[in-house]
Amino acid sequence: MTGKQKKRTKLILLEVLMILIALVYIYPVYLMFINSVKPFGEVVADVIALPKTIEWQNYKDVIDKMNYGRLFLNNVVITTIGILGIVAFSASTAYILDRRPGKYTRVVHLLVITPMLIPFQTIMITLLKVMNIVHLSGSTWGLGIQYWGFGIPMATFIYCNFMKTIPKEIDESAFMDGASTAKTFTAVIFPLLKSVTATVIVLDVMWIWNDFLLPLLMVNSSPKTKTLVLSAYAFVGQFNTQWHYAMTAMVLAVVPSIIFFILLQKNIVDGVVAGAVKG
Amino acid sequence: MNLGRKKKESIETVLYTIPSIILVTLTIYIPFVMSGYYSLTEWNGISKDPVFVGFDNFITLFSKSSDFTTSLVFTAKYTILFMIITNVFALALAVVLVKKLKMANVLRGVFFVPYIMSMTIVGFIWKFIFSQGFAKLFEMTGMEFLNLSWLGDPKLAFYSVVFVGIWQSVGFYVVLYIAGLQAVPSDVLEAAIVDGANGRQKFFRVTLPLLGPSITTCVFMSLTNSLKVFDIILALTKGGPGGSTYSVTLDIYREAFQNNNYGLGSAKSLVFFVIILVLTQLVLKGSRNKEVDI
Repeated sequence: MTGKQKKRTKLILLEVLMILIALVYIYPVYLMFINSVKPFGEVVADVIALPKTIEWQNYKDVIDKMNYGRLFLNNVVITTIGILGIVAFSASTAYILDRRPGKYTRVVHLLVITPMLIPFQTIMITLLKVMNIVHLSGSTWGLGIQYWGFGIPMATFIYCNFMKTIPKEIDESAFMDGASTAKTFTAVIFPLLKSVTATVIVLDVMWIWNDFLLPLLMVNSSPKTKTLVLSAYAFVGQFNTQWHYAMTAMVLAVVPSIIFFILLQKNIVDGVVAGAVKG
Repeated sequence: MNLGRKKKESIETVLYTIPSIILVTLTIYIPFVMSGYYSLTEWNGISKDPVFVGFDNFITLFSKSSDFTTSLVFTAKYTILFMIITNVFALALAVVLVKKLKMANVLRGVFFVPYIMSMTIVGFIWKFIFSQGFAKLFEMTGMEFLNLSWLGDPKLAFYSVVFVGIWQSVGFYVVLYIAGLQAVPSDVLEAAIVDGANGRQKFFRVTLPLLGPSITTCVFMSLTNSLKVFDIILALTKGGPGGSTYSVTLDIYREAFQNNNYGLGSAKSLVFFVIILVLTQLVLKGSRNKEVDI
């Protein structure tokens, strides 16, 4: 009895300790939020205190100055194009690689997956030159297409691992019924890949939405093509003494990710684990 | 009839795989080969033709005490510290968070939040905390460490950068370790209790060895991520003060896009590639040998 009680007290103490650690841990994020709604004078006077008045004007000003709507749209375009291509090409490639074993597919498999070993920084210098030649630099859709090439290796790798677990009898019975390869893939196999597709989407949305270096090289020159993170970076640099504006810009840049996380917490955590273990 | 079907199948096989091959070649293989070529040249990106200089760039990299060697030392120190602290701290948090706490889910979420934010923004948040937040907190509490120049002093700036890097990503490793801990079979742990193992023995003799695959994954991921560190440093210190926090990736970026030495930058980027390749293969080999199966 007492042993059990002792254990319970210990657990409660541990919980209290963890809550304290978590509060300290998240404190910087909290400071960012409260300072984003303070007038400039209050930020300078006391960054710790709660705002005396809530200054929504900060948000109005920054949304105007940054052209937030445009940036948000750019991010959506880049991320959507990127994800659609990565999922479509990786899933179909993995399907064929697994179902048609042979010399050709072995070589292709190696060719498509090996780039996972090449760090982005190794190719970034010449990448810009190549993308200028094929006219994929300087536009949001072009950047979206570039993500296909960078996303396919990892996504194909994850899809391939999962394809192995889908019994071949399933496609064979579809063929018996007269379905073509394309039909079998789109109507039978692809729906079965749902959980992996979710993993790929979660990992790639988090990556593309927040990516910095590739957009910096490709779309930073025009305000029409900039991404949210790029613009926040420039904005904070420009207003680095006006912290109230800087904080507001930062909140506006991270809020989409935080909402995405709150809505899909379980899928995101599962996806991250599956991606790391298989990748 | 049969031959016709075979031919059709081969065409299909090519059709389904060719888009991926083209895309990967265009974005990765062609730039990679070009980097190899430019690393042997001197080229400022503007003049029409790069001048072939042989292995001069590679000799320059290592002969004198160049920026590159300084950034290599920085990255090595960063990587070692980041890997050790991240993995120990994440495992400790995971061990607590798998217990039956009432708020376990919320707590896991809290540690994960920085990971879903852009690293650039994370760098800025901490720049604000180090400059404005610490000053005010020092005023309130008088604790001396808050009054130090965490971003202005080269030695302290190093620790600040490591600290922010860990703060941003520890939640990711916590989630991986939790998944690993949940996969440890409970009958093995019960058997250990029956055999009279205490809590500490249970953890170090049973749980930890069975966590092998998770540890391999986390060590591997923390290695590659810390070797490539870029965004956080750019936002936090821009490589300063006095160039003391230049990582290899930041140095490559500076060499190519700020100093316009595309040839030298390419040479650096290739050396970086070889270093990553060798280290990751070593870690994978080393840790796979240590894993235990039930």
